[in-house]
Formats: sequence, structure tokens, C-alpha cells
Amino acid sequence: MADAQPQRVQDRLAFLLALVPYLLDNDGVSVGQAAAHFHVPEQRIREAVELIAVSGVPGDSRQYQHGDLFDIDWDRFETDDEIAITHQVAIDDSPRFSAREAAALIAGLQYLSALPENADRATIATLTAKLTRAAATTPAAVGVEGEADDRLGLVRSAIADSAVLRFDYLNGRGLREERAVEPLRVESVDESWYLRAWDRSRSALRTFRLDRMAEVRIDPDARSERPDDLELPERIFQPSKQDLTVVIELAEAAVPLLADYLGDRPVLEPTKRRGWVRTRLRISHLHGLKRLVTQRSGLVQVIEPEEARRTVADWAAAGAARYR
Amino acid sequence: MAVPVSNEERLFSLVLALLATETGLTKADVLSSVQGYRQRYRPGGNNASLERQFERDKEDVRDLGVPLESIELPADQGASQYTRYRIPKGAYDLPADVTFTPQEIALLNLAALAWREGSLSGESRRALMKLRSLGIDSDEPLLGYAPRLRARDAAFDPLSGAIERHHVVRFGYLKPGDTQTRRRQLAPHALVQFGGRWHVHGTDQRSGEPRTFLLSRIVGPVEETSIEFPAPEGDPAADALASLREETARNVAQVTVQPGSDAAARLGRRAESADDGRLTLHYTDLQVLADELASFGPEVLVHEPAALVAAVRERLEAVAAAHGGTDG
Repeated sequence: MADAQPQRVQDRLAFLLALVPYLLDNDGVSVGQAAAHFHVPEQRIREAVELIAVSGVPGDSRQYQHGDLFDIDWDRFETDDEIAITHQVAIDDSPRFSAREAAALIAGLQYLSALPENADRATIATLTAKLTRAAATTPAAVGVEGEADDRLGLVRSAIADSAVLRFDYLNGRGLREERAVEPLRVESVDESWYLRAWDRSRSALRTFRLDRMAEVRIDPDARSERPDDLELPERIFQPSKQDLTVVIELAEAAVPLLADYLGDRPVLEPTKRRGWVRTRLRISHLHGLKRLVTQRSGLVQVIEPEEARRTVADWAAAGAARYR
Repeated sequence: MAVPVSNEERLFSLVLALLATETGLTKADVLSSVQGYRQRYRPGGNNASLERQFERDKEDVRDLGVPLESIELPADQGASQYTRYRIPKGAYDLPADVTFTPQEIALLNLAALAWREGSLSGESRRALMKLRSLGIDSDEPLLGYAPRLRARDAAFDPLSGAIERHHVVRFGYLKPGDTQTRRRQLAPHALVQFGGRWHVHGTDQRSGEPRTFLLSRIVGPVEETSIEFPAPEGDPAADALASLREETARNVAQVTVQPGSDAAARLGRRAESADDGRLTLHYTDLQVLADELASFGPEVLVHEPAALVAAVRERLEAVAAAHGGTDG
């Protein structure tokens, strides 16, 4: 699969700087091989080679004379789609990583090391040291300490094998039921792990919290029945037609804390309270709302409908009553 | 009319020219002779916009990790027309002794995939491109997929830049348990993810003490100042994680949960349980835990510590009061 086409000119420059040493080391490589190696379309390789072949240094004459430029075996390129650099200037080695590039990979490695199947800490430490040495300047210190969930291993192997998972699920309404799903992806949001899966009984995509799943097992006999063209939306919390709309007021400072629920561009209206705004929230049921609001005490207030307001009030009052 | 030279070609030519020179090129040398500039250069005329182009290009090139140096001879200090620019080959090339095995490349591919969004996903992709330049074939990925890391917090990017440059930052912070934002000034040392949340660790400029802040609680833009601080010693990320770990080991709460409830399912997993049904929970930040425990309403009863009991009770009473009135 080809990577997304880089758009920025810096990415295109980085590609040229990466491609030259590869071509020097792999004399006569075919355009197809190079494209596969870099995960780009063949046309992008051809365009880059054409640019490299006419590039060079100003030279003593400052006129970019023939000997000051890269050159390639043009016949071979045009006839056989193969790349052989016949004259080379200025660069022969791979460039260093920028500090940010190294930091991004180091953080990714640390994240992987928190997962049970990648627990090879020695390899991660060696790689981190190599990346730090391979960076132009010291990477920003980034560290990740993950917390694995013991259900994770089973869920991940079910994804890898396209197997069907069965488990008892305590849903947001507090009811337990057995679910059979085809797991697609595990994601983490803050401290929680979520499984996104095709729910076979509801014939729809659903998101499950790993910490509400019990008795997780693989069903060896079930065959996949999900649609082939299924696409997993980027957003983990998807609105559905059955959603309730609730009007809330919240402190402006708390808007980012509700980003997962409000969407990317929530409509925020001013209110009489200074520093507070009014918006609409879509939720799947009031049981979720009461938890969401009590977790953000002093920052969020439900305005309407009345039933929603009362559900939240009762929940909080029942909680507070336990301390009297 | 000459065909315009693309931005890509101009930047590539600039890198080649500065790598090829030992003594460096002056700005006038670059503008008058390097492909992409020379076509637009007016000898003896006003080249202000071309000069600005050169300034931007230098930044773009440096951003990629290319060590573009400016050299001022002592005698010419302050006279920018004599500043010479070059890219020392030794500092440009990946050190020859840094090599990667196919298995390591596979792991790095996965590590890059861990970033789903934000600019670090772009940085990872570019790092992979540079890795591929080494021509090492990767082993098959260890897995068909990887769970994804999110640096959705808008503060992540500006903070990592400031950490690299050792610049003090200012930001608004909504401390857990507070309802008002307060301004903070921090010398940032490390970004760490702990307990699933991103934290920035550094020295608070007002108190001079080490402090850790939750990125999700940073409100509004992070402002990078030009105030420099000395690079922290040792491994600041490891130190920050160690101190969060110690803090968590030290902080202990005791709660009971209603059997069969959501709280029982979710907290039971993280807690040690005793014979009397009490659960023991470790926590990093009392206010963050209080937020979470309050969300369970009557499903949880907190016993210890007293400060946590008070914090949870206060939250529940506040929510009940705010939602209790008949007119909303």
C-alpha cells in the first residue's frame, strides 16, 4: 500500500535526500522496486529521478556545467525503467533524523514496549540509543509508560486471525448481555482501552470498553459475516439516529475536555454567566450523561430536557447521600 | 522565457551547494549562483524578496534535521553580508556506525504507525522515509495492526518544540478540581504519557520546583518565550516517569463498590481487594481520581484518605445542587 502522498515541499525535499543514497547503493534498481521500497507510486520515483538527474552544484564556473550535475543512464531509464546514477555530486549518505523525527519514533517505540507482545525492553533501549545518535540535535525527551489490560492479548490475536469474539458485556445502562463481535481495532483514549468491532446481533459497528468485558473467548466455529466494504470511521464515538440531544452549559475552559463528545467544531453560544457557553451534546443514553456530568463537577451543567437534568441530579444526590 | 524553478528544486539545489562548499557561501553567492535563486537575482538591484525567500528556505532545511551552519569571522561580526553558510558533511550524514537490522526496521515501522494524528504522524512518516534510504528490507510486521497513540492535545507540538530549544513556555492551566484557569510559566523538560494521559514535566518558574501538568488541562495556546534555560541533566523523561510512579505508589485510596455495578467492573480491575470487600486503589493525582470516582455516583463509597472523601462528596453535592432547582 502506498503511503499518503506528502504535500509539503519539505517532505518532497526529504524524499530527494533519501532517494539519492538508496539509488547509489542499489545501482540499476527498477522503478517498480524503488517505488515498492519507499511505498510511493512509480510516477513519483520517475519524477524525482528526472529532477535529480538535472540537479547539482554551481561549480567553479557557477554555471552548472555538465560535470557539476548528477547524471543517469538515460537509455536504461527510458527503455528499461531502471535507474543507474552515472555521476554523483555532494551527497552519498543518508541524512540524519531531525530531533522531532527521532522523538516521534522513540515515543512510538516506548508505546509499543508497553504492550505484552513487544515487551523486549533491551531491543527498545538499543533502538532508542541509535535514534538519539542518528538525530541532528538531541530529541525532545518523550516517555511513555503504558498500562496493558489483560484482555488485550486475546483481543489482539482475534483481530490478527479475523476470529469472532464472544464476551459478557456490562453496557452503559448497567445491563449484562452476551455479545458476539468481529473485532476490528483496539484503541486507547486516556486511560481506557476500547474495542471497535462489528456487532453481529445488531449488524452495526459498535465500540466496547475493554474494562466492561468479562468471560472473553474466541468462538472457533463462527465465520465472518461483516460486509466486505466496511469502513471504520476515524472518530471513536459515532453519533447514531437514536441519540438524544441535550442542551448543556459549560465553562469555556472545559470545552477541550469534552472534545470527544462535542465534535470538531461545536456551536458555542454565549450565556449570561461570564466564561460559560451553551451548546448541544448528542448522547446515546442518559446513563452515560449522568457519569459524564458528575465527572466534570463545576464545569458542566445540563439545561434541558428536564428528564436529563433530573437524571443527573438524582445520580449526584444518591452519591452524596452515601456520605451522610 | 525561462521555465520557473520549482520550490523543491530550489531547496534541493541549496542543500547540494552548501554541502559541496568547504569554506561556505555568502548570501550573495547563494542568491547569484544557486539554481532557483539565480534566475530571480538582480545584480546591483533590490533583492529583498529573494533574501526573505532564502531566510525561509534556511529554516525549512534546518527543520528537516539538516545542519545548516552560519559562520561569522570574528573580524566581520555584525556584518551579515560576510556571514558564510555551509552544511558540514560529517554532521549531515547519518553516522556510519548506526545500522539497523530488518527486525529493528520492522519495529520502527510499527512505532511510526503508533502515531495516528497530529504533526508527529508526519514526522514519523518522514523518519521512515529516511530509514528506507538505507535500503534495508523490513521483516514482515510483527502484527497486522497496532493500537494508536493520540497526541490530540493541541499543546503537544508547541511543548515538544520548546523542550528541544530549551525555551520557557507560558500557558493557561485548569488544575483538576479548579474551575478557573491560571497562568503558568514552565521550563519544560519532558513529555511523558503515564496512566494513558500526557503530562509535561519541568521546573515551575515561579516556585523553582519541579512540576507536572496534564496536557488535557492546558487551556488556550502554549506560548514559547525566548527565555532559555540550561538543558536538564540525565534522562528527564525517565526521571519524570519515575517520579510519577513513586507518587502513584505512595498515594493509596480505599473504596467499596456496589457488586455487579459499572464501578465494580472497572475499578475492580485496577484495585487490590481485601477480605472486607474494600478495594485499594493507587492514584497519581487526587483531584483526577476524585473526578472519576464522582462519576460512579452511588456505586462507590470512598473511605480513605479524608481529602479524597471530601473531594468526591463536594463534587457530588455541587452537581446535585446545580441540577436540583426546578427552573434548571
